[in-house]
Amino acid sequence: MKTAHEIRPGNVIMLDGSPWVVQKTETTRSGRNAAIVKLKLKNLLLNSGTETTFKGEDKLEDIVLDRLDCTYSYFADPMYVFMDAEYNQYDVEAENLGDAANYIVDGMEETCQVTFYDGKAISVEMPTTVVREVIYAEPSARGDTSGKVMKPATITGGGKINVADFVKVGDKIEIDTRTGEFKKRV
Amino acid sequence: MINMPRANHWDIFCTVVDNYGDIGVTWRLAKQIANEYSIPVNLWVDDLASFSHILPALNPFKKVQSFSGVNIIHWAEPLPIGFIAGDVIVEAFACELPEQVKNQLLHLHQTDPKSVPIWLNLEYLSAEDWVEGCHGLPSLQANGLKKYFYFPGFTAKTGGLICEQNLFAQRDAWQADTANKLQLFNELNLKGIKAEDTVISIFSYETQALATLCELWQQGAKKVHALIPKGRSLHSLTHLLPCEIEALVPGQKIVHGNLTLHILPMTNQQSFDRLLWSCDINIVRGEDSFMRAQWAAKPFIWHIYPQEDDYHLVKLEAFLKIYCDNLAPEIAENWSKLNLAFNQAQQSAVDLHWQNLNPVSLPLLQHVKQWPINAINDADLATRLVQFVKNS
Repeated sequence: MKTAHEIRPGNVIMLDGSPWVVQKTETTRSGRNAAIVKLKLKNLLLNSGTETTFKGEDKLEDIVLDRLDCTYSYFADPMYVFMDAEYNQYDVEAENLGDAANYIVDGMEETCQVTFYDGKAISVEMPTTVVREVIYAEPSARGDTSGKVMKPATITGGGKINVADFVKVGDKIEIDTRTGEFKKRV
Repeated sequence: MINMPRANHWDIFCTVVDNYGDIGVTWRLAKQIANEYSIPVNLWVDDLASFSHILPALNPFKKVQSFSGVNIIHWAEPLPIGFIAGDVIVEAFACELPEQVKNQLLHLHQTDPKSVPIWLNLEYLSAEDWVEGCHGLPSLQANGLKKYFYFPGFTAKTGGLICEQNLFAQRDAWQADTANKLQLFNELNLKGIKAEDTVISIFSYETQALATLCELWQQGAKKVHALIPKGRSLHSLTHLLPCEIEALVPGQKIVHGNLTLHILPMTNQQSFDRLLWSCDINIVRGEDSFMRAQWAAKPFIWHIYPQEDDYHLVKLEAFLKIYCDNLAPEIAENWSKLNLAFNQAQQSAVDLHWQNLNPVSLPLLQHVKQWPINAINDADLATRLVQFVKNS
């Protein structure tokens, strides 16, 4: 069992007897420090999607499916193709990548985990952190160096995240792929 | 388990967390659902002693009693009376339903799924953008039950704001005659307040910002009466008190220069509304008094419930942004900065922005009058909630 707060894109959870792959997670803060977790799910039996909310501490049954370490190979619209150590290729539908798609770039070397259900690759879990280059960011307006003032930025691959105000175009930054948060400039 | 008969009532469950906030909201909602929609309501509350502070007629030792058309039931484990599921179950502010209730929901789901009540989690109020995207979404439970998250909010895509249908008319009638406020002050044993004096109610958490404001008011040119109940606000003003807080009595006056502190008695919700309507400025906290201060159509400072990592400031800024949307920029800036400074106990900034603001300026007074009409956004929370249930 995991709490809703611990669920990540790529996890598969059981609800009412059906397996659902988590495509996207969004955690927000309600009153009195309580977390609200919004999940975008896809039913693996019916191939249908839904959005649902949980309290952060709600317990969810995550199921362990077959997983393989793979690297990203190429994109063949609408499939992302991954390859394992023995050069077997696996196609993953773009919509099943969820937020992981923000960090996929050509030539990336990080090892991802591809999850299989009923012999089919159904999701991809990124490493906890990745390093990406900032390709667009507004100029630093306030001269803030504390890291508390944030601004939107675009990273290689087109993903958009909020970064510290001092980050510039061309900087390489570390990102937490579980939350999409900027960690630091590297 | 036997199959119990169903009724068309609603059950609202509330755990009391900080004395008056959660129970204040749920009590208002229960009354409104019962009185304006003629729906029988059972309000299950775990702490009747705290509840009795805002409903003085409540007997904290009685398991079941009825007020304003609402059955109030002491929520103890096991439940003091048999639970019969009605049309709707509301768990207020993410409280955990009793096992007895959850078991019955599951039994209904397994035997007669159409008879399962609509199960709602009434969440906290927030002005943040994400609320629209989460309001009304189902929460799929592992056992097949479905619960909906209902988010109050300030926009048409949220669950709305708690406001009784005749509240604004009552307020306007009250504020039209100055004699009403003077009579209320008299009833509350608040002596020596003249119609032209500035009267400020204070219902905040502890903060040194209060000490700063009191110092300003002491030295100001005009008489200021600060009305404060025994409680958390006074912990920041002990240097102005003649005795321990516990020894203060309602009606007691403490004079420092042009400032007179008055110790308020605890009041019921209707009297609290009238108090807010009667003051020139209200300093309020949490969620319930925050909303009532807006409906009072008077300037206010909101002391928001503090959260980890200063996240409450994100929520405060989200509200300030929408509240100031139609306000003159200079006033909006000062009012926002005053609220932010108050919430961060930045004493010199509180001092500066209070003096810059002039809380009785005409554009601000016009804005506070118009804001409740805009904020209701066609329908209040109870109306939207009843409609949501019909559509679910």
